[in-house]
Amino acid sequence: MNTRLFITRAGPLTTIQDAGRFGMLRHGISASGPMDRAAYALAGQLAGGGSGAIEITTAGIDLVLDAGNCRLGLAGGVFTARHNDRVVPWPGVVTLSAGDRLSITPGPAGNYGYLRFDADLDCPPVLGSVATSTRAGIGGYRGRALLTGDRVDLRPVAEPAAPVTVTVTPPDNGPLRFVWGLHADLFSPTIRQGFLQQPFAIGRRHDRMGIRLDDPHGVFAEASILSLVSDAIVPGDIQILGDGTPTVLMRDHQPTGGYPRIATVISADLDRLAQMRPGTMLSFAAITADHALSLLRSQI
Amino acid sequence: MTDLSAPNAFPVPTIVPLGDACLLVRFGTTLTDQANRAVIAFARLLEREPVPGVDEVMPNLVSVLLRFDPLRAHPAQIAGEIRLRLFALGDSDADAPAHWTLPTVFDGPDLEEVATLLGLSAAAFVSAHNSRTLRVLATGFAPGFVYCGMHDDALVLPRRTSVRPMVPAGTVLFAAGQTAITATPLPTGWHVLGRTDFANFDASASPPTRLSPGDTVQFTVAT
Repeated sequence: MNTRLFITRAGPLTTIQDAGRFGMLRHGISASGPMDRAAYALAGQLAGGGSGAIEITTAGIDLVLDAGNCRLGLAGGVFTARHNDRVVPWPGVVTLSAGDRLSITPGPAGNYGYLRFDADLDCPPVLGSVATSTRAGIGGYRGRALLTGDRVDLRPVAEPAAPVTVTVTPPDNGPLRFVWGLHADLFSPTIRQGFLQQPFAIGRRHDRMGIRLDDPHGVFAEASILSLVSDAIVPGDIQILGDGTPTVLMRDHQPTGGYPRIATVISADLDRLAQMRPGTMLSFAAITADHALSLLRSQI
Repeated sequence: MTDLSAPNAFPVPTIVPLGDACLLVRFGTTLTDQANRAVIAFARLLEREPVPGVDEVMPNLVSVLLRFDPLRAHPAQIAGEIRLRLFALGDSDADAPAHWTLPTVFDGPDLEEVATLLGLSAAAFVSAHNSRTLRVLATGFAPGFVYCGMHDDALVLPRRTSVRPMVPAGTVLFAAGQTAITATPLPTGWHVLGRTDFANFDASASPPTRLSPGDTVQFTVAT
């Protein structure tokens, strides 16, 4: 009998993700993949093997194991997980048998959590990946977010890896580091200085495509740069919309765009940004691309 | 004597980092025919002579993106390989690989207005629009979306001031001296000229799109 998950409650934008769908930019599809890559990897190590993850948002998820049994790794942010009403550690490991319930509710921190398994999530790969692209409407479970009532099969892997014990280092609380962006030179020195000196906050509009920032000191209020030629976008790009709203583009970004981009958040800080809840204050610091690389390498 | 100042057809590019996992080879900051031809030629050259460590090449309107794994490759090394290839870049790299005829029904809500703004009747506009073979300038904005150009200077209009919330796949759009085709439903500020049955995105196909940058396209009136 197949091992099967029955989703009894899914928060909005609960999606199936894997490492990402790479190589499709010229076809108009960005890579998607986990908003918090390190947490995705950690949940995988804890589970010991299967491909694919369920990425949950602050609304959490409830599920029942319909049949079979499986081991789950849980990681990302701080959520509260209950296995048949018994609280289990987060991050942590839980083993489910047929009929067991898993209920995950929001905890004190973070936006994204990951459920990974000792088996593969049985979704058909689309263009080489099972990652859900909320923008293109492909991948994952029928090209969409998971909904209450969905059933997801788990496919055993030949030789599941042994789960490992891991230690979690708390994220750095310093400024979010960036390298200057494609259009940085089009912004006035006053705006560039304001960007370096003033605080910003995570806005309420926040999804896999992008995170809007509140700009309480109006650093970008007067930044009107019009009619740029459309150019490549990468995850972490900070674009300034026509009304002066700074937006950090995330994993489901559009592959190209015409809004000016002042900076790109470094790869080593993107996970931390993804987990910042609306209202979190943040500041920015400029570093070189070389420094960004050494920070990324030292993370691994 | 050799004329060292012989005009080079392609603009001299700059190589700039885009974050810490991509380099961008920029042939211009505004859309020109020459910058776009250089992009297409260079992207094609990179297919023939791939740069070690580069995982993805994406041609845009006036730049080529090269994505690498920052844990394995170093951007300075990749930039060096890019420079080697840029010096070998020639006009022959820009030859069109494929030609497409795109039958189009010109019945869009903005057709009359576009024609009027250009001082033409709708029929005269359609005829002028279809008179020139266009080039696929870029892809990538959305699944299967293509920008085609460049139209004659007499056929240049800015975008609309308002955005239509959603147009269906196969919508033929017009603005900024270009004609674009959607392959998925999209919001757009471009003028809607009509629609085509030509479908440029199929997620179950490999590759999922048919039109490539540099392909030539001929719009015709669907019969």
